[in-house]
Order: sequence, then structure tokens, then C-alpha cells
Amino acid sequence: MVNRKVAKVLTFRYTILALILVILAAGLVLLPKYQKHEGINPEELLSKAISPERYISTDLLAEKLVNQDPSFILIDVRDEAEYAKYSLPNAINIPLKKLLDEDSIPYLNQSQYNVILFSNDNFNADQAWLLCSRLNYKNLKVLKGGLNEWYKTIINPTKPSENMTALDFELYSTRKAASMFFGVAYPEQFKVDKPVVVKKTAPKKVITVEKKKKKPAEGGC
Amino acid sequence: MKELEKTKRISIAAVITILVVLIAVLSYKKPKHLYTNNTKSTLENITNNNYFVTLEELNGENLALIDVRNQFEFEKGHIENAINIYTPEILNDYNTNLLNNLKTENKTIILYGSNTNDVTIPFLMLNQLGYTNIKMAAIENSYYQNKLISKNDTIEKSYADIKGFIEESIKKASIEPKPIPVKIVAPKKVITVQKKKKKPAEGGC
Repeated sequence: MVNRKVAKVLTFRYTILALILVILAAGLVLLPKYQKHEGINPEELLSKAISPERYISTDLLAEKLVNQDPSFILIDVRDEAEYAKYSLPNAINIPLKKLLDEDSIPYLNQSQYNVILFSNDNFNADQAWLLCSRLNYKNLKVLKGGLNEWYKTIINPTKPSENMTALDFELYSTRKAASMFFGVAYPEQFKVDKPVVVKKTAPKKVITVEKKKKKPAEGGC
Repeated sequence: MKELEKTKRISIAAVITILVVLIAVLSYKKPKHLYTNNTKSTLENITNNNYFVTLEELNGENLALIDVRNQFEFEKGHIENAINIYTPEILNDYNTNLLNNLKTENKTIILYGSNTNDVTIPFLMLNQLGYTNIKMAAIENSYYQNKLISKNDTIEKSYADIKGFIEESIKKASIEPKPIPVKIVAPKKVITVQKKKKKPAEGGC
């Protein structure tokens, strides 16, 4: 009797197995809900977002621009009108609204260059950064303080007062030199430049003459 | 007999597959936080909607203020009735519960920090995670004599006309290169140096 029952069940064994597989396959249909979860997970994104490494200072950027470092591209996320008015040298304009358009992706999602995002302060640039980082675009940085900071530190650096350290003065002079590179002219720039030309020609002649005189003098003694 | 062995193998293989799938399903852990908005809709949200709250609007009804600065700053001074959730801890279990409760109570969550830029990250994170009733306070907090001073903050406002400034500086500078007296001063110095150098050379002989 028992054998017969077992035999009866066993005749259905393939149907049972097949049914289980079908049910599991149906279960797969429910899974893709989580795959719509676009980009890296929120915890990872947050830990990236709070790291100060994602910022680049205006001084560092100025240095890179002066040295004509080819390893990065600048992206201006302000709107077209503001971009037309003033932007950093060689910056590409991708207004925040068009950030995720097809045309912008090649600039943002690549591993060849570092991408530096900037706006007037770092509010819109941060937003752009967060959205792109969620899509796991690499090498993105934000200009700390944006163009306002750029103006304050590089274009129009404040002169340090006398009781400040030598470091501040050094910083001021590098910033001033950088600002000249970006087109700012200082009245004293002209005062300094022209005498330099005069000096260059005169001392050279003097030096050669001196050497000639010394040699016979040494020999004479 | 051969056929029996074949069927045996098939059933064993089927059982193993089912087991593997079962283990996979059981070990699958649902992530704690899930985005409800994709990046495109989030971008639309932030570019089209106004989500700023000014200082004057902070006293409204049905609001929950959240301070995203760290605990130290929070204890030094904070806006009345604010709750402290430091940005890096915004996805903690405790804070998630708290935020979910606020959401079910249908309160408007208002985030503020030491300035508006501070709030971008937590605001966008929560926005993407599906907290729709969330705003940010466009205020700036500083301390004056150990008292918290809050004032309205402007965002993305260009403070200076850089292009104008550069042009101005060029204009200013180009008026002044004419003064020649400067030139005369410099060459004089060079000449005195030359004379000094010659003298010791003569004396040596």
C-alpha cells in the first residue's frame, strides 16, 4: 500500500519540480523593483559627500591654470547668461537644468580628466556633484566657494595688514601674480616692468667687462 | 537501468537549483534606504521648485526644524525647538525613525545649518530618499557674544562683476605707465653698484 502511494506521488515528481521552478521564476519578476534603484547606495553616497576631499581650493585651481595643467576640465553650472558674462578660462557651460542631458554626459562621465564643477558659490555645484556622484561618475570636484571666492582670493586679493605673518604676505603675492595672469592689471605692474628691461641690458655688459679686468689683475700679482 | 540513472541525475540537479535559489532568496537583505526619486526627477525638483524658507517663515505651524550642524555647534546655540541631526548621521537608524515619524505626522521638515551651502547635501539626500515635505532655511547662523545670530542668506548670488573689475583695473593701470621719473630712479641704482665693484678690483692690484 505504502509503496503504491509513494509510486503515485513519484509519477508527479517532475510536475512538482517544474512547478517549483516556475514559481521561483515568477518571483524573479518581483525582484527588479530594487534594480530600479539607480546609482550607488545612499550610505556610500553620503560618506562620499561629507568628505572634504571633493573640494578644490581657489588657490590650487589658480596654480593649475597658471601651470596649464592639462589634466582637468572646468564646468560652469550657472545659466548661459551668467556664463557669457564671465567664466573661468576654457570653462564649459552646462547649466544645472541640462546636467543630465545626453550632450553633457561625455564631459561628466569619463575617466580621462578631473572634472571641476563651479557656480557662483558652491550651492548649485554641490547639487550637480551629488547627482553625478550618485550615478557613479568619477573624478568630480567642486570649486570651494565658487566664483565669489575666486573673486575674493584670486582676482582681488585683500592686502594683508602689517601685523600678519610672512606666510600671509607670501600668499598675497602669489595670489596677486595669479590675478595678473588672469588679466588684472595693477598700476605698479608698469612701474616694475619697464625698469626691468633697462636693467637686463646694462648689467650684462658690466659683468663681462669685470671678468676681463680680474683676470689680468690675478696674473699680475 | 540507464534511464533510471538519467532521471535520478535530473532530479538531483533540479533539487540543487531550487536549494541555491532558496538560499539566495533567504540571504537577500532589503537595503535600509532606497531612493524613491531617480536623478532626473530630482534634478527637475530642485530646478523648478522653490524649497527655500526665510527666517520670518520659521515660526509657522506644523514645522519641524532640524539642525544639521554638529553637536558642539548645536549645543552652543540653536534655534528654538530644533532637533540636532548632524549631516553624516542622517541615515542612522535612530534618525531615520525620527524622520519617518515626522513624515507620517505630515510635518514640514526644515533643515538649517551654519549657512545655506551647508544644507545642500542633507537636503538632496533626503529629497532623493522620498521625503517630499522637506525644505531648507536660507539663513546664516553666526555667534555674537555667545549668542546665536540668524540672518537671511542669499544663494548663488554673484557678489562681484569680475569681468568689469578686470577691465577697470586695466583702464586704471593704463593711465599711469606714463610717469617717467620712475625710470630715472632705477638706472641710478645700477650705476652706483657698478662703481663699487670696480673699486675693490683696483685696490687688489
